[in-house]
Amino acid sequence: MPHKVISLISVGRHPQSGRSRRADQDSRAVELGLKLAGTGLDVVHAGNSEEPVLRQYAGMGLPKVTVLEQAESADALPALSNYLKAEKADIVLTGVRSESGESSGMTPYLLAEQLGWPIVARVADIVEIKDGEAQVLLALPRGQRRQVTVKLPFIASIDNAAQAARQSAYGPGLRAKMAAQTGSTEEDNVRVNWSEAPAKARPKRLKVVKAKTAADRFKAATAKPQGGSGKVMKNESAQEKAQAIFDLLIEEKVIR
Amino acid sequence: MSDIIRRDPRAEWIMRNRLHPLHEQYASQEEGGEVRGPSGLIRKFPHKVGFIGPNGIKRIDRLKGNATAPKGKRSAAAQEVQLPLHKVDSPDYYIMVVADMVGGRLTGHDKDILGLAHKLIAEQGGNGAVVAVCFGEVKEEHFDTAGVDRVLHIEGEAFEGYAPEARVQALAKVEAQYTVKHWLFPDSIHGGCDLASRLAARLGERPATQAWQVNAEQTVSRGASASLDITRQTPKILMLLEECADAIDETRHEATPMSLDDVSVAAATIKDKGLMAVDPNAIPMAEAEFILSAGNGIHNWDQFHEAAQVLGATEGASRVAVDDGFMPRSRQVGATGTWVTARVYVAVGISGAIQHMQGIGQVDKVVAINTDAGCDMVKRAALSVIGDSEEILAELMKLVAEHKQTSLSDQAEENSNAA
Amino acid sequence: MVIDWLPSILIVVLLLLGVIGMLRRASLWRAGQPEKVNIIAGLMAMPGRYLKDLHHVVERDKYMSKTHVATGGGFVLSMVLVLVVHVFKVQQQIVAWALLGALLLMLVGAFFVFKRRLNPPERLSKGPWMRLPKSLITFAVTFIVLTLPAAGILPEGTGGIALIMVLSIGVIIGLGELLFGMGWGGPMKHAFAGALHLAFHRRPERFGGGRSTGLKPVDLTSAVIGVAKPSDFKWNQLLGFDACVQCGKCQAMCPAFAAGQPLNPKKLIQDMVVGLAGGTDANYAGSPYPGKEVGQAKGNPNEIITAGLVSQETLWSCTTCRACVEECPMMIEHVDAIVDMRRFLTMEKGETPNKGSEVLENIIATDNPGGYAPGSRTNWAADQNLPVMKDKKEVDVLFWVSDGAFDMRSQRILRAFVKLMKAANVDVAILGDEERDSGDVARRLGDDATFQSLAKRNLATLGQYKFNKIVTTDPHAYHCLRNEYADFDKDGALAGVEVLHHTTFLNQLVQSGALKLDAFKGGKVTYHDPCYLGRYNGEYEAPRDLLRSLGIEIAEMERSGFRSRCCGGGGGAPITDIPGERRIADMRMEDASATGAELVAVGCQQCTAMLEGVVEPRPQVKDISEILVDQLIEEVH
Ligand SMILES: Cc1cc2nc3c(=O)[nH]c(=O)nc-3n(C[C@H](O)[C@H](O)[C@H](O)COP(=O)(O)OP(=O)(O)OC[C@H]3O[C@@H](n4cnc5c(N)ncnc54)[C@H](O)[C@@H]3O)c2cc1C
Ligand code: SF4
Ligand code: SF4
Repeated sequence: MPHKVISLISVGRHPQSGRSRRADQDSRAVELGLKLAGTGLDVVHAGNSEEPVLRQYAGMGLPKVTVLEQAESADALPALSNYLKAEKADIVLTGVRSESGESSGMTPYLLAEQLGWPIVARVADIVEIKDGEAQVLLALPRGQRRQVTVKLPFIASIDNAAQAARQSAYGPGLRAKMAAQTGSTEEDNVRVNWSEAPAKARPKRLKVVKAKTAADRFKAATAKPQGGSGKVMKNESAQEKAQAIFDLLIEEKVIR
Repeated sequence: MSDIIRRDPRAEWIMRNRLHPLHEQYASQEEGGEVRGPSGLIRKFPHKVGFIGPNGIKRIDRLKGNATAPKGKRSAAAQEVQLPLHKVDSPDYYIMVVADMVGGRLTGHDKDILGLAHKLIAEQGGNGAVVAVCFGEVKEEHFDTAGVDRVLHIEGEAFEGYAPEARVQALAKVEAQYTVKHWLFPDSIHGGCDLASRLAARLGERPATQAWQVNAEQTVSRGASASLDITRQTPKILMLLEECADAIDETRHEATPMSLDDVSVAAATIKDKGLMAVDPNAIPMAEAEFILSAGNGIHNWDQFHEAAQVLGATEGASRVAVDDGFMPRSRQVGATGTWVTARVYVAVGISGAIQHMQGIGQVDKVVAINTDAGCDMVKRAALSVIGDSEEILAELMKLVAEHKQTSLSDQAEENSNAA
Repeated sequence: MVIDWLPSILIVVLLLLGVIGMLRRASLWRAGQPEKVNIIAGLMAMPGRYLKDLHHVVERDKYMSKTHVATGGGFVLSMVLVLVVHVFKVQQQIVAWALLGALLLMLVGAFFVFKRRLNPPERLSKGPWMRLPKSLITFAVTFIVLTLPAAGILPEGTGGIALIMVLSIGVIIGLGELLFGMGWGGPMKHAFAGALHLAFHRRPERFGGGRSTGLKPVDLTSAVIGVAKPSDFKWNQLLGFDACVQCGKCQAMCPAFAAGQPLNPKKLIQDMVVGLAGGTDANYAGSPYPGKEVGQAKGNPNEIITAGLVSQETLWSCTTCRACVEECPMMIEHVDAIVDMRRFLTMEKGETPNKGSEVLENIIATDNPGGYAPGSRTNWAADQNLPVMKDKKEVDVLFWVSDGAFDMRSQRILRAFVKLMKAANVDVAILGDEERDSGDVARRLGDDATFQSLAKRNLATLGQYKFNKIVTTDPHAYHCLRNEYADFDKDGALAGVEVLHHTTFLNQLVQSGALKLDAFKGGKVTYHDPCYLGRYNGEYEAPRDLLRSLGIEIAEMERSGFRSRCCGGGGGAPITDIPGERRIADMRMEDASATGAELVAVGCQQCTAMLEGVVEPRPQVKDISEILVDQLIEEVH
């Protein structure tokens, strides 16, 4: 029996232009969904079915996108959890964090809590599904991977290390069907009390030297700032040059 | 270093002046009480012969240091100042800091958060204590100077390795057993964020994520891919960005152990099958943290591959190296290849054409090995060595091989100590 | 008696079979999509187009042009007269003599064709094409002998039945090739298809010395966008493919072919012919796509082209340099066809290779291919004191900066140009952050939706302001603005506006004395014609004039002017980056080095990037504006 795989998608935000786009992790979730379920994949969005970004997702070769029609300010959770329950999903794929809005990354956790399903976070790949259990690779920093198994049904949040999403094609995206259902009307009341402003640049932490002696203070004041051009070694012996590189590699902890 | 003998008049002056605050430090640097006199001759320095023993009596070591630990280390320890102890007796509430403890030790990120926890207590008032909650193996020896009033080490096989389900159950029990004012987690990829989200969902609390400016009342956190600052009331659960506060460095803390009464957990649905062994060359280049990259200036390709292996680096290449068929296309770095994010990128025989540079824009430290001191790669590099790549790689491999030898024996020693 | 009639009967039968074949062929073209053409006007214009435009191209090869005039002209004339003399039996000796004359002319031509085929250059197809001169000669000789009695040179009935039998075989061979083969897909098909292709060409503007290089917009509402199957081409495109004579002139000029990338424009056109007629390429007797075997491709009008007929890499190897189109004597439009098929791959399949999809996604989200913040577009000009249109509203010259604004190397070109304009006191402004990518790359990569959206938005911006000229340093943007935006310019934002490349504009300034320049004192200089400036827009002289005005004697490369070899930077080729045996840019740099030049002058930031990407040692590369600015005599006020 093929497994019922559902990918949840949201409206992303381009980091440079701030324009709407298909979110990077969400589209990777769609990509993984396509790998697992082919065209049997159900792609679900809670929001506005007129949203042009949905067509960008659909351009990945989705004949239809299910839209739980609701206002932007409404809470997506109840609609989604009802839908997942009704559809008897086996695997639900989401991004780790959305690119717009609060970006808390709580959606998959709250869904998991409500449905009583396990959640695996930062998934790089789902290798195999066998006997009601999935073999999952979790992404760790710097290309490291952890292997876990998890019982179906479960929720997985997809990391940037997962297979990149295929190109979105204009034609199929344009022609895909937006299957709208009614979503929830519950407003997000907590958020009303928040204030939002464009992000302020965070000051880089200066190396505060709590100088104990005049010499230390002097050193701190005259120390070469980070950046600027680097050190060039020309006339030293090859051995010394190698030593300098070696020291840097040790200092950066890439050699242990 | 030149071997011309130079005098250091200041050092000599300090050495002569026993009342100078730095006298001890300078005096202890001198090996065996020998000083180079103004004429370059070796002189005995009588005040320096011997050292002050633990009970304050001067001793002369006739074994010339062979019987004791190396001198440098001990004097450094002697120099360490005792920081004032910050004590919390029967606290009214706790701030729980669930540390990442990568490799069993507090990370810099953890320490920032411990600092923040103290800041919150200072602002909130009351008798609060900062608790470091940790799971699994703990190697940290300096909880006291990192600002940890209490250590809650939750042990048990169920919590070892990757066990977020067990851990969140334990945290929920902590919540039940203790008066917890705040839960602070590092918003990190080392598990902090995952655990925090699980706990928040379990407790039904709305957490603040990517928080970076926190006080007792208000929290500013990032939203919408870090393009938005959201200001709100400080919630119970916080996931904090790095540098959200300064680490503790002027006080010592008790770090008294605490315990959790009930550590039983339900069977896990997620089973850890362990870390996968990764060959540096199998790591997607975009994720690799250490890349050794080859260009047109490589003439000995066998040596290059060997060097990458010895260094444990992921291999990269310029387009010319790829075009000439020495490296596969998937290894190409640059505009038409991969954009890498390595922490260290060693460019061997790569001139630094603009198209190549585009690919290494996000690299932290570039090291250039090149015969041409004027090339663009040298301008970009944090460290450049000018010379023939073959020669320098050979030397570098030697150094690394030696290092591995010693660190292997170190490890062996550590293991036997543990046994 | 019947035997006497045999040749005449054979002529009529073969003629009829030939006509049936042609009708069948025409029905194959009609499988294509409808496209409006003016049939009467086209047919009327056809002889002129043949004599003037086609021969203008053939003329580049004098030998072949004379040969073709003799053979082709001789054949057409003799065929008409053959009907008159041998079918309608007109008994006037003068006509027979005329026929003899025409046949002799053809025989001479056929002899030269034969000579060329003795040791044919690699670009020519072999196979059936090798027997063509023999068939031509057979035809001519047969009818000469057959006409001798009618001309009164030989008595009637000479040679008896035996000769008639021999001549009948000659008629079958000759007319079999020339009439039957014309209709049924032999080499002579080119004459019939070629003639109709000239009449119904999709770009009639090309004739009479005109130029038509802008791509045609695609209908974004159609059921399938772009060309998936041969039958998705317009019918007259299919007709055009059939006109190919496999002369391989395109192949000889194609930079991708020379670099060993899997593209050969001739083979591509022949594969299109296979596609429209159905079958395999087993009979193809020319050079293959480099690295690909001949005989594997098969297709038919209703099969997806990239599923067996042509591989995707072939389509993505093209730099859209138009060298093939420029060179094709049959005026076939290779680039249109390639981009049409790319449109399907990008807009329907989402299979733009390599960095293609990333670049397109960037363009969509940020209006520039690099994915930079749109708000940083004008950062390069922070110290340039350039007014922006938003403040000026009205200006003489609008400087279209293009995406070079984000690239450090190109910024040097931009700054040089700005300095020159300032020195000449030009009333100039830029759009600043309101400017967007011109859409060139998106369009060549087959994403016409994005191109159209950019074009419309750019036009809307331009429409708000008044200016007399648009000048740009980027020939690709120049081409879009000048040749491709008109299709979307409903409100006439560019109506009456002169679109100029900076070399043209600078040349005007120099000629009018607004710019004072010192003589150039460096070494030897050569000039590389950017495809989108030269072949696309016909500007070969202004850059050369400018160099000459510095006292530079240009050391021309072997391939220059309309035959200039591409730098490899067009058509999104550096983005799709299909591997070959060599780099196109390396070959171009070799061309430049061969002149002994120390400096390559170019007029395009993309060419600069490509040529500077060649490993040193090599000549220096500079945009003309950079060379000029070094020689600028600045007046101290
Ligand atoms: C559109 C386009 C896209 C491109 N994309 C890419 C891309 O994605 N990635 C890329 O890398 N390039 C790309 N290029 C090519 C780029 O422009 C350069 O040609 C290429 O990066 C040069 O490679 P290199 O530095 O290895 O070779 P070179 O430029 O030949 O440099 C070799 C270097 O090695 C040094 N050297 C020589 N011998 C020794 C020795 N014995 N020991 C130490 N050093 C020595 C030399 O001093 C020199 O600096 C692109 C070019 C174009 C036009
Ligand atoms: S446009 Fe240029 S690259 Fe493309 S097929 Fe023609 S000659 Fe070749
Ligand atoms: S396409 Fe044109 S140039 Fe190429 S072989 Fe055919 S006729 Fe010749």
